[in-house]
Amino acid sequence: MSSPQGVVDHSALKVNQTGIVATVLVAFLGSALYRPLLLLIPLLAIVLLVGTFAPQLALFKQFYFKVLKPSGIVKPRPVKDRPEPHNFAQGLGGVFLAVSSVLLLPVPVLGLALALLVAVLAFVNLAFGYCLGCQIYYQLGRRGLIKAS
Amino acid sequence: MNAQLWAVVAVGTVVLAVACLELVRSRHARALAVGAPAAPASEPYIIYFTGENCAMCRTHQEPALAKLGSLRIDKVDAVAERELADRFHVYTLPTTVVMSPDGRALHVNYGYAPAPKLERQLAEAREVSALRVTATA
Repeated sequence: MSSPQGVVDHSALKVNQTGIVATVLVAFLGSALYRPLLLLIPLLAIVLLVGTFAPQLALFKQFYFKVLKPSGIVKPRPVKDRPEPHNFAQGLGGVFLAVSSVLLLPVPVLGLALALLVAVLAFVNLAFGYCLGCQIYYQLGRRGLIKAS
Repeated sequence: MNAQLWAVVAVGTVVLAVACLELVRSRHARALAVGAPAAPASEPYIIYFTGENCAMCRTHQEPALAKLGSLRIDKVDAVAERELADRFHVYTLPTTVVMSPDGRALHVNYGYAPAPKLERQLAEAREVSALRVTATA
């Protein structure tokens, strides 16, 4: 996703966000008819968390790099940027989905609501470019809680 | 389906509450920041708060600023220049501040500000400074 010069392919991020929105929507709406589809939520949490710590295992991004980009279906959009805030946002999404997965059995409404919230935030990022996780990363950096710059 | 409906209601309520809070927060910050002083100049100019980690700054705000043509834009790293960022109550990136020539903040935009909006604000700033020159002449 990034080179040592600090270039991030934003198409990879968009594909990742699309994957998150689509998976949560399928789980959310599909589970009304076929309950086992809820399993997609913990699976998505695992995909996001694994992808945060090992980008080479990030499912949606790898799908972009191995399939969509070489076939020309999605054009690359390299932007001078740092990958850390985006990884942080993805990890945050993964944590929320993990909590949602735990809540799905005892409090299904809360579990579904958390998963839907992650999808809404991913959609906002996809459609408007506003990344809440990146803003949280900036605020934490500003307060010296993480090394943001 | 009942659980799904309640979840939609819950998320809708949260999103609405956050949007309202954000609106109140930005209005409050703007009210505090407008009029804040910085260096004077011969023409209105923009202070542009950005950060190394601000993706939206690079993908949206910088192309919008480039459309404004030859204009003084003071690019400020909000994390490194904390004192200046606090003076304009910068709580989100990007933030753009349209300054009058006498060094007062006239408009503060928290979040992405498109080029037409900035052009409008700059035109207002030019009018204000022209009026001031006429009044003092």
